[in-house]
Amino acid sequence: MREPTADTPAIEALDLVRTYRTHTGVLRRRPISVEAVRGISFEVRPGELFGLLGPNGAGKTTTIKMLITLLLPTSGTARVMGYDVVRETTAVRQRIGYVFGGDRGLYDRVSGVDNLRYFAELYGVEPSEQKRRIAALLELVGLTGREHEKVEGYSRGMRQRLHIARGLLHDPEVIFMDEPSIGLDPVGARELRQTVRSLVDAGKTVLLTTHYMFEADALCDRIAVINAGRIVALGTGANLKDAIADRTIVEIETFGVTDEAVDRLRQDSDVGAVNMEERDQSQILLVQSDRGAHITQRLLSLLGDTRIGKVVAREPTLEDAYVHLIATTGDDEAHAARAASVQ
Amino acid sequence: MSAERTLRLVWFVTWFNVRMLLASEFFILTTFISPLIFATLAFFLFQSGGGTAGQTLLYVALGAGMMGVWSTTLFGCGGAIAWQRWEGTLELLVNAPSRYDFILVGQTFGAVVLGFYGIVATLAWGVLLFGMPIQATYPLILPLSLAAAIISLGSLGMLIATTFVLYRHANALGNLLEYPIWLIAGLLVPVATLPIWVRPLSWLLAPTWGMEAIRGAATGPEPPFFAILMCFVLAVVYYAAARVTLVFVLAKARRDATLSLQ
Repeated sequence: MREPTADTPAIEALDLVRTYRTHTGVLRRRPISVEAVRGISFEVRPGELFGLLGPNGAGKTTTIKMLITLLLPTSGTARVMGYDVVRETTAVRQRIGYVFGGDRGLYDRVSGVDNLRYFAELYGVEPSEQKRRIAALLELVGLTGREHEKVEGYSRGMRQRLHIARGLLHDPEVIFMDEPSIGLDPVGARELRQTVRSLVDAGKTVLLTTHYMFEADALCDRIAVINAGRIVALGTGANLKDAIADRTIVEIETFGVTDEAVDRLRQDSDVGAVNMEERDQSQILLVQSDRGAHITQRLLSLLGDTRIGKVVAREPTLEDAYVHLIATTGDDEAHAARAASVQ
Repeated sequence: MSAERTLRLVWFVTWFNVRMLLASEFFILTTFISPLIFATLAFFLFQSGGGTAGQTLLYVALGAGMMGVWSTTLFGCGGAIAWQRWEGTLELLVNAPSRYDFILVGQTFGAVVLGFYGIVATLAWGVLLFGMPIQATYPLILPLSLAAAIISLGSLGMLIATTFVLYRHANALGNLLEYPIWLIAGLLVPVATLPIWVRPLSWLLAPTWGMEAIRGAATGPEPPFFAILMCFVLAVVYYAAARVTLVFVLAKARRDATLSLQ
């Protein structure tokens, strides 16, 4: 088996497509197919921290599962450290680690250290290495002292850190992390980001999926924005921001805004995108426009008799760039991907 | 992977699976209590039918013990896969660099070895409560019979487990297989008493020959060499079938994305 050269990309995906086939109905079963990934291509360089950013259902997890050999692509090719993910699965699996977000994927009824011992054996870690390696990883993820407790008593953050330790047991060259910070509290999420950064500093290649913009911005060397199964933008955080650098964001705090009022904003020819965030008592409307702050009065008049709180006009952030990309590529694409093609 | 590494892997997975199973209350009930209930029922049934001779009681006790072994095999092999699917660990095991068939071997034998406790328990139960004499006709052959039965049941368990990897509702099949096999494999009544058309089916089943090997060594009249041989033959056939099935199952699971479904 050939070894990858220094020029070999750590990860390369070319026109990856994945279609899920399922059915609806009980008595009259109708086959349907859903295109989760629709022709994705990208490369990740060795030692790079690459982010796949997109909303829920965009195709991030499906892409990762194809790259880690859990799913077969419907078409297209992908390689990890030069090895084909369809045909050379063992070579790929020996070189990768992966961490999925969420509560699942651990043996709850035994201790954290027993989980790690078990997976160390499955991942082929030399017996003479196991003890030292497990101790080092427990230290890295901050579980030293809690390792002999049963996992069922672990907090969400502790479980996530144990997931990371498991994924690193065999010292993989490439690490895939699928929404690793989901459900973590802010302190836990910050610690996780530090851990991820330290992995890249140690020379690992990391592919991270997230739908948190700030997380991608804080961590990733490059970001691919994925929506409805396609990459809609790829570049550094600064590149992505440049796409809407000439825009102004008007933040309007409202109380009880109606869908009709928001639609009136969206239909205005000078409005690029409207995003709404729900707060406890209020809604924050984030309106993008290339007309500067002058459009503010018109926006307020379009909202009619909606109760208005604070209004702020500001420069766009990476999150705004993301919202813009998702909004402008979203509805039609998503509809096309999910439309059941009844056979 | 070297032979030493493979043996270590299988041993480690066996040990880990034993620990996981012993942490399950349902498994403990199935493995440790059920055989005693089966044995008690069987003893009273045979006593009321007039079969009170020592060798008959031993025959009954071994059958009841084997019923427990079969239940444990089904739960420990198939049920464990269903549980791993629910926990989200099945994907990790299938996708580990180690060969998944070796992992399955370890998981299966962990369950079957624990299941053989059932035989020991029912024998002790018979001695303590029913005054059953415990004297094997061929005591030197008995360990070989037990080993042959463990290996053949383990291989059958592995074959069953491969279907559980693919189908998330295979647990229903597992439950369905419990009682009919007790009957068809001659654990309750001799295979010779079953209709002729059922017997070929009995001969394909590991519990039939495992039971015959153990009963033959314990109660005679002949040394059970043929039954022991059949255990090993079936073990090889089951293992080969499981390997072939597993290649198909794993390819299909990657194609259909079924491993993470609960």
